[in-house]
Parts: sequence; C-alpha cells; structure tokens
Amino acid sequence: MSGEKNIKTSPVRDLEIKQGFNLSKFLVSWEMVLVYILILINIVLMVKKTNLYFSQGTIQAIIQSGMDVCPLVLGMIFILMLGDIDVSVASNMIFASMVTGLCCASGAPAFIGVFAGILAGALCGAFNGYCVAYIGMPAVIVTIATSMLFRGIVKIILDVNVLKVFPSFYTTVAWVNIAGIPLSLILFLIMGAVFVFILHKSRFGRKLYVIGNNATCAQYSGIDVRKTKLIVFILMGAMCGIASIFFVGRMGGSVSSTMGTGYEMTAIAICVLGGVSTNGGKGKVYGPVIATLIMAFLTYTLGLLEVDANSRKIVTGFILIIAVLIPNVNRQLIANIKLKAIYKGNKNVEALNNRTAEEVKALKNAMAEIKKDTALNESDKTAKIKKYKDKIASLQKKCKEQSAAWLQEQKEDERKARERFAVK
Amino acid sequence: MRTTESNKSILAKMTGNRNFGLLLGLVVLLILAAIITPSMYSVNSIINMLQNNAVYGLLAIGEMMVILTAGIDISIGATLSLTGVVCCRLMAENPNVPAVLWILLALLIGALCGAFNGILVGYFKMVPMIATLGTMYAFRGFSFLFSGGQWWFPHQFTEGYLKFATLRILGIPSILWILVLVFALAILFLGYTSRGRRIYAIGTNRESSQVAGIKEERVVFLAMTLCGALAGLGGMLYTANYATCSYSIGEGYEMTAIAICILGGVSISGGKGKVDGVIIGFLMMAVITYFISLLPGLSVWSDAIQGAIIIAAVALNIYMERSAERRALKERSALI
Repeated sequence: MSGEKNIKTSPVRDLEIKQGFNLSKFLVSWEMVLVYILILINIVLMVKKTNLYFSQGTIQAIIQSGMDVCPLVLGMIFILMLGDIDVSVASNMIFASMVTGLCCASGAPAFIGVFAGILAGALCGAFNGYCVAYIGMPAVIVTIATSMLFRGIVKIILDVNVLKVFPSFYTTVAWVNIAGIPLSLILFLIMGAVFVFILHKSRFGRKLYVIGNNATCAQYSGIDVRKTKLIVFILMGAMCGIASIFFVGRMGGSVSSTMGTGYEMTAIAICVLGGVSTNGGKGKVYGPVIATLIMAFLTYTLGLLEVDANSRKIVTGFILIIAVLIPNVNRQLIANIKLKAIYKGNKNVEALNNRTAEEVKALKNAMAEIKKDTALNESDKTAKIKKYKDKIASLQKKCKEQSAAWLQEQKEDERKARERFAVK
Repeated sequence: MRTTESNKSILAKMTGNRNFGLLLGLVVLLILAAIITPSMYSVNSIINMLQNNAVYGLLAIGEMMVILTAGIDISIGATLSLTGVVCCRLMAENPNVPAVLWILLALLIGALCGAFNGILVGYFKMVPMIATLGTMYAFRGFSFLFSGGQWWFPHQFTEGYLKFATLRILGIPSILWILVLVFALAILFLGYTSRGRRIYAIGTNRESSQVAGIKEERVVFLAMTLCGALAGLGGMLYTANYATCSYSIGEGYEMTAIAICILGGVSISGGKGKVDGVIIGFLMMAVITYFISLLPGLSVWSDAIQGAIIIAAVALNIYMERSAERRALKERSALI
C-alpha cells in the first residue's frame, strides 16, 4: 500500500524541483548579466589602462581592495532574505575589532582575541535579533539605534585613541597572494561555498525562503520564525566579527572609533545589485558574490579614470537604483503601460488583442513545422501554408474590427455620460 | 463609547493619553537638567538651544509624513546638504538678488529631490529604504560636485540671507517662527485636509484605501515631495543659521529626524502618529543634546545615549500598543 502511495506522489515532487538545464534561460539570468557587467568593466579598464592592467599584481590589488566587506555581504544576504535589514553592521564590525584589539593589547593570545571579537559581534547580533524577533520592533529602527549605540560604546571606550596591537595574520589575510590568487579571495570563496550550501542545499535555507515570502504562512506550517530570525541575526553578528579581521588587516592593523562608516550601505548595495530582493524571499548567493567583485572593479576603475570619490558616490547610487528598477520593469508594467496607451484603458480590447496574438503565434508555429516537414510534397505544403496565412489574416482583421467597434462604443458611452452630467 | 470615556477620572484620562509618557519623560529630563546644570535655565540659553535644533524639527515633520505612509526617507540629510550648497554658492556669486528668492529656490530644489524619490517609490514601487539609499549617495555626490569641495564662511553671506534665521522678532529668532509656522501648517494639513487624511489612510491599510478610491502613487509622491521640500528649507535655514556651509553638512541628520519621529510616537509601520507627539519628541531631543553638550566629558557619550533612548522608546511604544490592544479585547469580552 505504502509503495503505491509513494509512486503516486513522486511525480509532483519531480515537477517542482527538476526543471532541467535551459541554456537560453541561464544566459539571461541575473547572475550571468552580472558576469557580463564584470567582463565589460574589465574590458574598459584593459583598453584605457593597458599597461597597468597587464602589469604584475594589479588585478590582485583590485580584488583585495574590495574584499573587506565580503563577510558583511554574505551575512546581509540572509538578513535581506528574511525581509529585514541591518544597518548596524559597520558599527558592529568596529565594535568587534575593538574587542579583539583590547584583548590583544592586554596580552592575551591571538586566538582568544579573535574568538572574543567574533563572540562580541555575535552578541551584538543577538541583541538586534532579540529586539526584532522577540520584542517585535522593526528591524530598520532597531539597527539604526544599535548602530549609534555600538559606535557610541566604541567612542566611549576608545575616545580618540587608536588600537594598534593585532595578531600578525590580520595583515596577511588582507595583503598576501597565494600562487597569484589573493588569500582574501580564497577565504571569501570558501565562505561563499558554505553559504551556498546553507541557503540552497539545507533545510535551514529553505526555511529562510519560506519566511521571506510569507512569515505568517511559515509560522502556520510549523517553522519557528522567531528562533530562525534570531539565528540569522546572530550569524550576521558573527560575520561582522569575521569581517573585522579583513577590515583591520586592510587598515594595516589599527582601529579607531570613526573608521568604517558607510560600510553597511555598501554591503546592502552589493546585495541588492546581486539580485537579492529587499522584500525578502528572493535571491541567490552567487549574485552578491559576483557583485562584490563588480563593486571592487568599478570603484577601482573609476578611480583610475580620475573620477573623484564623490562622483563615484553618484555612480554607486544610480547603479543601486537601476539595479533595483530593472526587475521592476517586468511584463506587468509593460502590459499596464500598453493598456493605458494603446488600448485606452479598455480591458476587453486588451484581452482580445492578447488572445489573437497568442492564436497567431500558434498558427505561425504550425506553419514553421509544416515548412520543415519533409514527408509532404511541395504543392501540399504551399496549399497548407496559404490556408494558414488566410486564417491569420482573417483573425487579425476580425480583431481589428472588433476592437475598433468596442473603442467606438466606449467613446459613445463617455459622451453619453458627459451629456447626462452636463444636464444635471 | 463617549459615555464610558466621560466616566473615567481625570487621572485615568491623562495616563491613557499617548503623549503622557512622553511629557513625563520630558519633565523628568528637565528636572534632571535643573539639578545638574542650572546654567541651562535662562531665556537666552533655551532660545539658543531651540535655535540650534530647529532644523531637526523641520526634518522630523517631513520624515513623519513619509513614515506615515509606511515608508522611510534616508536621503533628507543629503537633500539638506545639496540645497544648502546650491543656495550658498548662488548667494555668494549674486549678492544683490533679494534673499526671498533663495528660500523659494531652496523649497524648489528640495521638492525636486523629494519628487524624484517619490517617483521611484510611488510609481516604480521601489522599496523606500533602498531607493532613498541610492538617492542619498547621488544627492551627496551632486552636492560635492556643485560645491567643488569649497567652504563658505560668514563674511561671504549677505545680511538679508542671514536674517532668515537670525532676525529677532519679539526676541525670538525668525528660524523658530518659521518652525512654529511649519508645525501649525503640518497640524492643519495632516489633521484637517482630505489630502492629509489620505496619508494616514495609505499607511493604515494600503489595500482598503485603494479600494476606497485613493490613488496610492499620488499620495506617496506627495508625502515624499513635501518631505524633500522641508529638507530643502532646512538646508537653507541651516546655512543661514550657522553662516557656514560645505558639502558635508547634514550628515546623519536623517537618523536624528527618524529618532525624533520614533520618540514622538510615530509608528514605523505607518498610519499612526501625530504632529503634537513629534513636537514633544523634538523638544526632548533638543533638551537631551543640549544637556549632554553642557556636561564636561560627556560629549563622547551622545551617540550611545541617543541609540539607547531610541531603543527604549520603541520598546515602550510597542509595549503600550500591546497593552492597549489587550485592554480593548478585555472590554469587548466584558460586553459579551
């Protein structure tokens, strides 16, 4: 009995999960578009600064320059996946760096310092997560407040001092290449692989998608939404702790309270550019990983083309807006504009036109098949094709006449309504 | 409903008021300030305090309208900087033009910036946070481009320009009169006009207000444009008040404006909040910042204290809402 049941239910599952590999779809997917953009930027850089591009170490330097936000990006994907947002990550990162720095300055071994830093980050994340998930405060407000709070605490403790004692491997992480590949990139890709596994291959990742799409639905289907949110925020905090390693290394092993402002915005911008929806429930890890590289190449290229830092800000801002706008310019929007402009708001006309277009398309497909068909002789072919062509022409004519009649009717109605209104 | 309300004692009515907690907090703060820093209590220093914080009030009113539509605008700091820079540069280059023009120009530029946000959020349905994040970058960049990294100092400002903020009418600087005017207009607009009520309707329930025939896009567009215009006005008054200007003014002001709104009981999920609450929130924030700046060695604490206060205020807000819901539920069950 049970065997039969399994057989009956299995096709449904197959339908949902296995869609097959479609090359044309793959080539226009957002991730591939990002790759094209990356290649385009590379070509621009190559053409404009040929000498520099092919000289030793340039590409490594570019990649290294963008790697200090990479752990933040990975953590932020999960937060955005839930439909929340975290703008306290930069402050959190500085807080974690400060804890590590204080531990190392007091003479503790390096690994304790690093561990303390990551723990501090995770605790800060837990505080955010508790406020968002269990008290029910909006994530934007909580994280704006905690970004002030964490940085405020750093300001209180450090004042104007600079912490300079950090484990020696920090700078190694940020500046060393292994066999021509930056160590930070390798670490980033390893972390990215872990996140890909969590989000796309594990049950936890599926939960995130469900919560992001509909939290109430997730709650009713037995997912502990609060706990999941808390875990994600703690994970984000821990990633802030890890980001402090990259960041401090990049800064040459020193930390002061005013460093790293604006990193949260960069991280969010990269995630959005990578195709993660801020409404939650949409996005993949691959996109932001490529977008991180794009951002690094873009800022570096613009810098080399002698665009100053503030004009780069304009470019970043507009890229962010356009990246979010593109998915919005979808079929629905185009259909709406068409409805208003061409069909004058008449939904009947729109439906008729759409149906006719579909029928014509089907007929044309059939026609193409007949052309390919080798079994038929020439005269049969031409006769059939002519038949189809007549059919298409008559359909289009019918559609035109009908829609003209409907539009005329609509006009008439409007005129009548106006007259009645004027009489009153 | 009305009869049950009149049966309540005055005390219960007072504690039931949303602003009661806020007023209590303000009084406690004032008493604390009176004990620790008595020098705060002179007419001059109070006017000084309000004058230096007036820009926050303008921004907060604008931000409030956006938050009421369940959105958020984090580009107002950049808008403020852009208008300030444009006005200052043009003013320094054409000192003979009447100063009224600059205030109109500031309103116009601010409204344009806000309208751009409004198109993105209202018509293209972008997430407000992300759209205004992008425009924040862009406006700040434009501000730098227009200023060319230049600073403007008091000797470059014309008399008429400065008068908009510092001219004393009845002993009170004109920037405060403008602020009071804006507050009054906001109360009238949000409370007594159909356009203002539509902002509340959109924030409370998008679907049902659409079904009721409210055009959501237009309302969001209007709210964001007004917010931008107020930020523009703030930019002009800021430069007139301090008589200095550079592209970096107004950094982080959006956070303070949001904080004032939250303190004033504006719900971040939209539809709830009144102008009087925001006014009290504004006074509280002014007292807090001034109080902190008067205490020696405490200035580094200001960020942390502000953050902690916002978290506490939001938590309190949510707790109050929940308890009110519970009370309403109890009353209903008692009726049955």
